Amino acid sequence: MSVLAIPVDRWRRPALGLLGVVLAAAVVEALPRLGLVDERFLPPFSRMVTGLTEQLALAEFWTALGQTLGGWALGLAIAMIAGVLAGVVIGSVPLLRAITSSTIEFLRPIPSVALIPLVVLIYGSRLPSALILIVYAAFWQVLVQVLYGVADVDPVVRDTARSYRFSRWGVIRSVVWPTTLPYVVTGFRLAAAVALILEITAELIIGVPGLGRSIGVAQSSGAVTETYALVLFVGIIGVAVNGFARAVEKRTLRWHTSVRRDLA
Amino acid sequence: MHRRTFSVLALSSVAALLAACGASGDGGTTTADGTTNVKIGVIPIVDVAPIYLGIKQGFFTQEKINVTLETAQGGAAIVPGVVSGQYQFGFSNTTSLLLASSQGLPLKAVTSGVASTGDPSKDFGAVVVKADSPIKTAKDLAGKRVAVNTLKNVNTTTVNNVVKKDGGDPSTISYVELPFPDIAAAIAKGDVDAGQLVEPFLTIATGQGNRQVVSNYAGTSPTLPVGMYFTSKNYAGQNPQVVTAFTTAMNKSMEYANAHPDEVRAVLNEYTKIDPAVQKTLVLPKWPTTVDRAAVQQLADLAEQDGLITKKPDLDGLLP
Repeated sequence: MSVLAIPVDRWRRPALGLLGVVLAAAVVEALPRLGLVDERFLPPFSRMVTGLTEQLALAEFWTALGQTLGGWALGLAIAMIAGVLAGVVIGSVPLLRAITSSTIEFLRPIPSVALIPLVVLIYGSRLPSALILIVYAAFWQVLVQVLYGVADVDPVVRDTARSYRFSRWGVIRSVVWPTTLPYVVTGFRLAAAVALILEITAELIIGVPGLGRSIGVAQSSGAVTETYALVLFVGIIGVAVNGFARAVEKRTLRWHTSVRRDLA
Repeated sequence: MHRRTFSVLALSSVAALLAACGASGDGGTTTADGTTNVKIGVIPIVDVAPIYLGIKQGFFTQEKINVTLETAQGGAAIVPGVVSGQYQFGFSNTTSLLLASSQGLPLKAVTSGVASTGDPSKDFGAVVVKADSPIKTAKDLAGKRVAVNTLKNVNTTTVNNVVKKDGGDPSTISYVELPFPDIAAAIAKGDVDAGQLVEPFLTIATGQGNRQVVSNYAGTSPTLPVGMYFTSKNYAGQNPQVVTAFTTAMNKSMEYANAHPDEVRAVLNEYTKIDPAVQKTLVLPKWPTTVDRAAVQQLADLAEQDGLITKKPDLDGLLP
């Protein structure tokens, strides 16, 4: 972490990242062109990009994009609110923590996609199906982080606050929350990615309206280029979601030692 | 106790939030002017083109039905949706309905949905092979690897049937389950020797130089009822007038589709992404308005022969 390393690093990392993208695109372009894979089934990268630009001109594409992002944001918001509330409450009460820990460890590893048959039965191919899957998957990511965060509170600081007669709410606001916030943000970053995966899965498998369903329709119409173009765009959304989560992290934790550069 | 309370609380709070987002179904309701809202579970494929045409032609509004189409990615999601009342009607292949009803699911077919063209060389579903494949007739499929979209369903029973009719032993076929979009690629790579395809994949595959061996639909019965529209017995019992209205509108839609193939090809643009060149040339199925009971019986017998069902399905209960 020398002083000199910072500017070089700052310049080099995006450049290397870009180089990686260019190389990956070149490989996808070359494989079908060289005949290593059949281009009827994997079109060259340039054709996927052309297919994508054609998509960008369609109103239905933007509608589907809005549905995907809307479902993602709503599911993520519900999971965040529920996860943070449940985490702070359970984490603050040792008895509750002890009672729920085995249940949480049992429920957490159940893959959300295993709930697909159930949600289809209850909600069919509509938004609530996607929301259940998203909330189920993302909730645990947030909850577990918040539990760790609450457990990380310095007992001396908490006891000090108590001896100064801070109310329960005051302790949560001034002691528990600042310690937990970095964990909440980590949970948010994990949950944001998981929520997108589940939104697309629900659209593709169940047929909930959105880009995933557009991929499914393109696929069942034998429109190979269009399928890949949409898959490519979903990948771009993934990168954007991750970038968004990192930006939120930087902004929320600008006071925290892990983000502040002046302390490094 | 606490544990239980917690999970109940977590689940019910999610449910409450969902309800606040408007999760409650609006299907099956009737408005003041006597129009009934119905949700219909369909798969976005060529087979259901008549319902899209019928909605555009106003056949459903004439019968005071306001249709909302919900597209599922597979028939597997539609049957449970209809049973649970999520959809009032659904579209499914006939063998799946026979399997479901032999397992005791309370389903009721309301009208035909899609059927073979009856022309073995020009049907909407067939078995294809590579152009230079040694497989020339159905009999040659014996002992080969054949890709189908679903194991133990209409496509395996009908392929078995045409192979047997041609003098081959269908028990020697090894079936490989692959989604329709992947079958042509598997044939090209040699992963399978043949594949059962339906439109538009059939036209795409033959356009890419593959050869059609036999139509497993027309080869089984010239009027083979491949798919049907259905509802639950519960809904049919409580809403006989809606079922009659839906059947009337659906039959009008199918008659219209049979008479206007160009409009069928055009309506495909609205819910599929089929290439325009393929849209023009693909083989359209037949949309009869009556269910050929003998052919359904034949499908049931084939399913029984192949061990898909052990109990004879109650055709009187299932068919309209």
